[in-house]
Amino acid sequence: MAHKVQPAIISCGFCEHASKRSDVNMAELVNEAVEDCIKKANIDWKDIDAVINGNMPAFEGANMPELWMGDHMAAKNKPMLRVTTGGTTGGSVTIAGYYSVASGLYDMVLAIGFEQQSCGDTTVGLASVGLGEFTIFSDLGYTIERMRSNMGGGAAIGIASYQAMNYMRRSRATEEDLARVVVQNRRNAAKNWWTHLKMPSITIEDVLDTPYISYPLRFGMVCPASDGACAMLITTEEKAKQIADIPVYINGVASYSNESAILGIDCAGAGQVDPCEQLGAMKSAEVAYGQAGISFPNKEIDYAEVYSPFPNQELMWVERVGLFEENKAPEAYQNGVTALNGELPVNCSGGVNSTNAIGASAMERPAEAALQIMGKAGNQVPKTVHTALGHGWGGSINLITHVVMSDEPQRKWR
Amino acid sequence: MPLPAYIKKDYKRTRTLHGNWYLMNYKYKFNLSRTKVFLKGLKEGHILGLKCRSCNTVSFPPRLICGRCLVMPDQWVRLPETGTIATGSASYDTNDKNRERPLPVIAVRQDGADTVWLHNMPKDIDFHSIYIGMPVKAVWAKERTGSWFDIDHYDAIEDPAIELNKKEQEK
Repeated sequence: MAHKVQPAIISCGFCEHASKRSDVNMAELVNEAVEDCIKKANIDWKDIDAVINGNMPAFEGANMPELWMGDHMAAKNKPMLRVTTGGTTGGSVTIAGYYSVASGLYDMVLAIGFEQQSCGDTTVGLASVGLGEFTIFSDLGYTIERMRSNMGGGAAIGIASYQAMNYMRRSRATEEDLARVVVQNRRNAAKNWWTHLKMPSITIEDVLDTPYISYPLRFGMVCPASDGACAMLITTEEKAKQIADIPVYINGVASYSNESAILGIDCAGAGQVDPCEQLGAMKSAEVAYGQAGISFPNKEIDYAEVYSPFPNQELMWVERVGLFEENKAPEAYQNGVTALNGELPVNCSGGVNSTNAIGASAMERPAEAALQIMGKAGNQVPKTVHTALGHGWGGSINLITHVVMSDEPQRKWR
Repeated sequence: MPLPAYIKKDYKRTRTLHGNWYLMNYKYKFNLSRTKVFLKGLKEGHILGLKCRSCNTVSFPPRLICGRCLVMPDQWVRLPETGTIATGSASYDTNDKNRERPLPVIAVRQDGADTVWLHNMPKDIDFHSIYIGMPVKAVWAKERTGSWFDIDHYDAIEDPAIELNKKEQEK
């Protein structure tokens, strides 16, 4: 796909993430990230042409929060668009920003993802999402208690535990392998200024000591619920060259969906018999790499940020998006290939496993990947990063977004 | 990297106002045409799957629309009582206040069907002993009322390929 305008990321901003940011309200939280982003880019807020924002609806008890934080998003007198796709909201907002610039409509777009989960109750949001499915469940004779226990505790962990079971069966990964991923993520998070769970001295034994939350996942392996926001400035190639030292060009984007695991269409069972098969991720990676002109992702990609609230998913995604051979990821993690100074560093920001502000999480992945290319990341890898990948997972636990970026524009396809 | 200067740790606390929502005033309409026959079949002791004439995919429980061909499947087929475990986990029964023993939760792929759905195994089975590909058999409830739980639970049956499965896991 050749486009007339080449979009580029010039700056990414974060606010400090914590389980309860009671010192600020939602609008001020968003403003912290926006201010950080605009300040780093060294531009005026009047230069921004359009604002795109999104968060998971009703997770903080407020619907349409963008109506009362327009000023805090630097959106005065500017067109504003809201995109929400559940867990992939951040990824979809980034892609929407890419489309707005690539179409030639706007020169400078501010993309924002945010979530202040401590304000409301996540269950309220999930109840409104899942109500349609619950109705069909009860039609089949399910009681709400049985429903809850059979969905493995409900929400994302219910699906992730099944994925973990199948992944462990497929690749012979052990619980130690899962704990190793957690240790790497939490230690990386300790070196990054905006992350939530900073645990510089955590060990594999510490993780394995915690009780099961949903077999085979333990309490210590599960992502936190954070308050936080992320902002990103996307602009054209010409402007990016004037503003940034190293502009990061977005060369490929894709979002594909799988059939919803376990529950399936209208709760009529899943056609996806193996929950860790993930055809959607494979297809979406293939399309994004195709746009970016990448034939050998395992050799050409220097840095990857994958969306992994649970450690088994990190192992699964890096295989499905083509960074490692199938069932080889646990070995790679053991040998330190994915560590900060390894051949292919993964999730050096700490990943979703250490910080999870739902609406911002999928945007923090491409944002951190872009910062690694710029050389401005909080936990910068020692080697030079040319090409990087930002991945997102969510929706009704089946939507996948991919953003492939590089320090070189997409020349060969024009 | 040091914290940006404008992130002040000593903000004054913002004021908090508590709100409350009634959530249960929704109406959600859905099509019953597929579940009626299915649940009637369960009441009579038959396990019914719905087959798409176009691609021969059998869905159990039945689906209203075949996602591959975008047609309405209308051929009901009888399925055997046996199946295999596609994936599994364990959780506590909400009625079990003491939480003594977790309840194994399994996704069963009925023999002859192409889709999976959730069910339980009895509590006295250790959830560690569940493996993917384990053969199971449906056990009917004493009183059948026409619901998904007319199948009370699934029980493990003898696995002719147990040695192979074990070897596969230990590799």
